[in-house]
Amino acid sequence: MTATTANLLYLVFAFGGAGVYFLLPRGGRSNPIVGAILGLSTLVALLIVLGVGVIAPSPTTGCFYVLATIALFAAVRVVTHSRPVYSALYFVLVVVAVAALLLLQHAEFLAVALIIIYAGAILVTYLFVIMLAHAGGSSTYDRRAREPLLAVLAGFALMAAIAGRAGDLPAGQSPESARLAADVAYSSVFPDSNTMAIGATVMTKYVVALEIGGVLLLIAMVGAIALSRKQIPRGERPKPRVIGEIGKEVPPY
Amino acid sequence: MPGTSEYIVLGSILFALGLVGFVSRRNLIVMFLSTEVMFQGVIVNVVAFGRLHENLDGQAFALFLLVIAAVEAGLALGLVVLLHRRKSTLDSEAWATMRG
Repeated sequence: MTATTANLLYLVFAFGGAGVYFLLPRGGRSNPIVGAILGLSTLVALLIVLGVGVIAPSPTTGCFYVLATIALFAAVRVVTHSRPVYSALYFVLVVVAVAALLLLQHAEFLAVALIIIYAGAILVTYLFVIMLAHAGGSSTYDRRAREPLLAVLAGFALMAAIAGRAGDLPAGQSPESARLAADVAYSSVFPDSNTMAIGATVMTKYVVALEIGGVLLLIAMVGAIALSRKQIPRGERPKPRVIGEIGKEVPPY
Repeated sequence: MPGTSEYIVLGSILFALGLVGFVSRRNLIVMFLSTEVMFQGVIVNVVAFGRLHENLDGQAFALFLLVIAAVEAGLALGLVVLLHRRKSTLDSEAWATMRG
């Protein structure tokens, strides 16, 4: 990625920022059509800028761009949709696209785990809370974003700072044949299945982190139960009954 | 096969979109959904770096990220339920009492 490409990326990011700004719900003043046009043209421009660097397209090139498009579109909709249920459903689309991208990167176990944990467990929890807490329709606070301009400026400055440095990576400059050779080497380093290789890594190199992760999950479970239990004031607690007297006030069947 | 730079760019865009959502949306649930989008960006990044260095550290790290995401979702949604029970609204502005 040369300096020209980086500058082009910054330009594309600026357009994308404007698109997200127009798409964010801003009460009566939002302009979704302008935002949609800006956002779609930004996506196309981004794909062109990223795609120019690829000289010899391989079968997976097209897959990457299609999946990246899906992920970005769905992420924009998660952030900008005014109804939380639709945000959650678009997030499923983000997860599926990211899982497919992980498959392209030879991370099969992680792709499946992502779908099971995110789309299967976390999203269901989110949907439950949305159903519990949300009584239909979009409320005023869903239709008015808070400081959309400042948020977009901060987000896109951060993005430019990260993505502008992406060109300094060694793989960014290597030609296509070297990349393919690196892929072959990568899969030959771990000849067994990806799941077995990850299991070996996690159970040997990262076994302490694994144990800490388990403890963390336990703490989170206890914390979530403690947070969401029903609070009973001290005075209203029913008097404990004498053992042996329980059930005696009810006439026998 | 697109190289690491493309994945880094994609991950950074996902992360920035999540940040924009977290800062600008007022619904507590959507705010936490935005953090999950940020997690997706980070996962794309660490797996791409793992492939760049040809080892499995990136994927192991992403696995622990999944654990953290599950913990965060559980605790955050417990908090959201608690806050919703107190004021029966999901608006984060309702809790701006410490604003100067």
